[in-house]
Amino acid sequence: MINKIVFNLLQVIVVMAFSPLVKGVIDYLKETVQSRCGPSIFQPYLDIWKLFHKDEVVSEQSSWIFRFTPYMVFVTPIFVTLLIPVLTRYPLFFAFMGDMLGAGFILALGGFFATLSAVDTGNPYGPMGASRTRMVGFLAEPVFMIVFFTVSFVAGSTIPYIVQKVWVTPLSNFFEPSHVLVMLAFIMLIIAEAGRIPVDNPSGHFELAMIDESKGLEYSGRGAALMKWGGSMKFFVLVSIFLNVLVTPWGLAQGNSLGAVLLAIPLILLKIFAFIIVLVVIESSFAKLRLFRIPEFLVAAFITSVAAMITYFF
Amino acid sequence: MELIFILIIPIAAALLSLVPAGKKFASGITIAGAVAVFILTLRAVFAVAGGRELTAVRNWISSDGLGVLILLLVAFVGLTSAIFSRGYMGRIVEAGKLRKVRRYYFRYNLFVFSMLSIPILSQVSLVWVLVELTTLLSVLLVSFENTAEALEAAWKYIVLTGMGAAFALLGILILYWGMHIAGGEAFTWAGLIKAAPAIPPALLKTAFIFILIGFGTKIGLVPLHTWLPDAHSQAPAPVCALLSGVETTTVLYVVLRLLPVLEASKTINTGNWFIVSGLISVGAAAFLLIQVKDYKRLFAFSTIEHMGIIMVAAGLGGFAGHLGAVYQILTHSITKSLSFFAAGSVFLLLGSRNISSVKGLIKTSPITGAALLIGGLAIAGAPPFAVFLSEFSILKAGIAGGNYLTIGLLTVFIVIAFCALMFHVNRMVFGKPAQEPLNPGLPPAAIVALVLAVIPVILLGFYIPGPLNKLLLYAASSLGR
Amino acid sequence: MIDHSATPTLLTQLNALTGGLFLLSTFGVIAVRQVLGCLKMFIIQSLLLSASALFLAYYYSSVHLLAVAAIALGVKPFLIPYLLRRTVGEELTSRREISQVLNISTSLLIAAGLTVFSYFVAKPLLSVSGGIITAVNLPIGISALFIGAYVLTVRREAVPQTIGILTMENGAFFAGISIASGLPFIAELTAAFDALIIAVVMGILIRKIHERVGTTAVGGMKALKEE
Repeated sequence: MINKIVFNLLQVIVVMAFSPLVKGVIDYLKETVQSRCGPSIFQPYLDIWKLFHKDEVVSEQSSWIFRFTPYMVFVTPIFVTLLIPVLTRYPLFFAFMGDMLGAGFILALGGFFATLSAVDTGNPYGPMGASRTRMVGFLAEPVFMIVFFTVSFVAGSTIPYIVQKVWVTPLSNFFEPSHVLVMLAFIMLIIAEAGRIPVDNPSGHFELAMIDESKGLEYSGRGAALMKWGGSMKFFVLVSIFLNVLVTPWGLAQGNSLGAVLLAIPLILLKIFAFIIVLVVIESSFAKLRLFRIPEFLVAAFITSVAAMITYFF
Repeated sequence: MELIFILIIPIAAALLSLVPAGKKFASGITIAGAVAVFILTLRAVFAVAGGRELTAVRNWISSDGLGVLILLLVAFVGLTSAIFSRGYMGRIVEAGKLRKVRRYYFRYNLFVFSMLSIPILSQVSLVWVLVELTTLLSVLLVSFENTAEALEAAWKYIVLTGMGAAFALLGILILYWGMHIAGGEAFTWAGLIKAAPAIPPALLKTAFIFILIGFGTKIGLVPLHTWLPDAHSQAPAPVCALLSGVETTTVLYVVLRLLPVLEASKTINTGNWFIVSGLISVGAAAFLLIQVKDYKRLFAFSTIEHMGIIMVAAGLGGFAGHLGAVYQILTHSITKSLSFFAAGSVFLLLGSRNISSVKGLIKTSPITGAALLIGGLAIAGAPPFAVFLSEFSILKAGIAGGNYLTIGLLTVFIVIAFCALMFHVNRMVFGKPAQEPLNPGLPPAAIVALVLAVIPVILLGFYIPGPLNKLLLYAASSLGR
Repeated sequence: MIDHSATPTLLTQLNALTGGLFLLSTFGVIAVRQVLGCLKMFIIQSLLLSASALFLAYYYSSVHLLAVAAIALGVKPFLIPYLLRRTVGEELTSRREISQVLNISTSLLIAAGLTVFSYFVAKPLLSVSGGIITAVNLPIGISALFIGAYVLTVRREAVPQTIGILTMENGAFFAGISIASGLPFIAELTAAFDALIIAVVMGILIRKIHERVGTTAVGGMKALKEE
């Protein structure tokens, strides 16, 4: 019992500690692939450290929502981390609190507050980014739903610890068309949700073209640090749901000992690293879509998920 | 043995017509080939009328009464339009463009080959390929004049019928599946009929619907007909005669072949499917005929109407209905080719396709006027001609079978179509000539073709030769179970 | 067609995966905006078709299906694009957006509807007979048939319409290899040959239209219509 609580907290620490690293590696790899000299992979840590030591400027016109949001954005991925398998194959202490659907809603709550705070300050770019994020979000919602429906059809459950076993026992089930199509749909979803190319350019500096980034423009100091950190944790969590539940449920700790769980940490980082390479290839080989083409991207994701459901269901 | 030669001759003629030798060489070869095919076909007709089934290669190349009837029609129209082509091409293609003429005859012979082989081959999977080939080999004939309209028509033609062919392919594959389940051995028409009672009805029904949609596009059943008036009006007149007169018929033949297969299964009301799809076509075509402005489109819509009539007749069922259907196939083919020859002659004389620009034809060119009048009257179903008799026999069969509603509707549609056709033909043939003809007279070859085409139209109105009558009876019996 | 077993094996799963990707590439024909992209989707689709034929050949231990796979592999992904490029010319590779009647999102949703519909069409057939292989190939083949027909109606350009027809044929064959593997070999051969002639004839026609009309947006050709 006490083990499970400790592991659960360890899981949270892993997510908190390594999520900036993931972001740093992506940035570094992307620059390298494009034959540029990238920043150090530890740059996000330095950024966050620097921001924590700066003064925070808060607009007088803003309400409590503006001040509250960074904490919300920071805390929601941590909550989700408690529910999903990051390091272990078996449910940990807090996992009873929610399933994958619940995790999705908790993440959405953070997004909801980020949207509100963007509108709150009166900065012209904030509401623009917020409305765009909502557009992407509300088009991504049906895809999320269909993916979860398919998963629950196949596994008879939406609890991640049950789902992860279904598609690899026996191993030939891995090639089930519904599985492959769900994976494809989910990758597209991660791209849309995390604001990666071709939906959004996370390293863009042009406010008019921003989708996700423009929401946090008004933050400074500690608020900005929390927002950044929360964002990278959200990405980490999404990727670990994708990898540990849908794609490669291998390398997770089976046993109850501390050693096994610690061993899972490098393995999961390795998997995420492999995924990052795929993501970097995708990001480097596509151009960012024009805004009104984004619905088409998400409809394509939707169709993929529907095809996954159809091929399973019949 | 005749059957194999019938297949070889057109291919040989096609290759020979590419030989650059003289101005009239290609057309001469084509006509000679068509005559040879026609004579061989007559031999086949006599053999089948004598009660013999023709088999050249078992399960692959063989033909019975219905097949030989179609073969006869293709051979006949192939011959007359080869002769008509000689006159038509001489006028249409500028002198000196011999390559264009040679290519025309090359494609013409291949097109005729594909149509000749459909009734001869008994292997169903190959029949699909050949039906598709009839499209592919005739598309470039439709676009022959290379105008924007002709290209548009050709494009619509290949896209829509190509789409239909894919549907039909799946239908035929499902049919094969069903036959396999039923334990049939040979995927031939006869083998299908034998295996039919054991084919699961669900498969049979789905296969039939796919094939009806697929080949229905090619036949021109409403609402899949939209390409037909375009392609059948933009092609050169001899090609129109082939397209309208026999190409539609050969594809319809494939659908009719399914009739005995489907009737084996009691759960499908095949007759109703045929009657409904046929009546829709007849009705739509009859009303569309009223407002036509192009005289070739006039005859094209009339083709849709006649295809519908044949479908209804086949759906009425019973020996009388089937006899009416095959009789109508015969009369429609010979009459429609005459109509298009007449239309082509009008085009040669006046160089316009508009009905409104043609007036008083009987005065400017008595031969063309008479041919158009006979063709128009005959295709509309006026009394002394063959179509009248066949339509009458269909109506009689329907009334005897008690299908009053169907026959009532059919009669109304036929009368409407008759009035529309006569209204337009009347305006073209009689009245005061509006303009001087571009060309003084018709080329002699065209006149020969017109005369050849008129003979059976008039003759069959009074008298059916013994062997032909027997052939019709055999053909009708192979539609029944 | 008797299946050896009704339980999924790696082979049937691989075939099912091929089917899923085949369906996806069919959607791709609708989703892609460029003419060349459309052709690429068709190539991928044809490769998947021959892959499926290969799996089935192994599954049924049928030499005949192996030959079908070989023909499909030779003709569809290589020869047809080559011939199209030869006959159509630079119009094929020009980077230009395809004009269409409905926007892509709507088209994709309709295509998804067509897929569901084709499963309903296939259901009564599957309940009669057919095992684990047919249950994958038949409905997916039918949906490719429907989606191809839909491409014809919704896309106004000549080359995508050609791809639409070829997609329909691919769909019919994808269903066909699972239900009619005993078809006479010559029929398969001529049918593959037939696809070639379609590509050539349509290619020639496209070139002529381009020379004569100046565009390959055939949807804009409206000289002929019902009176």
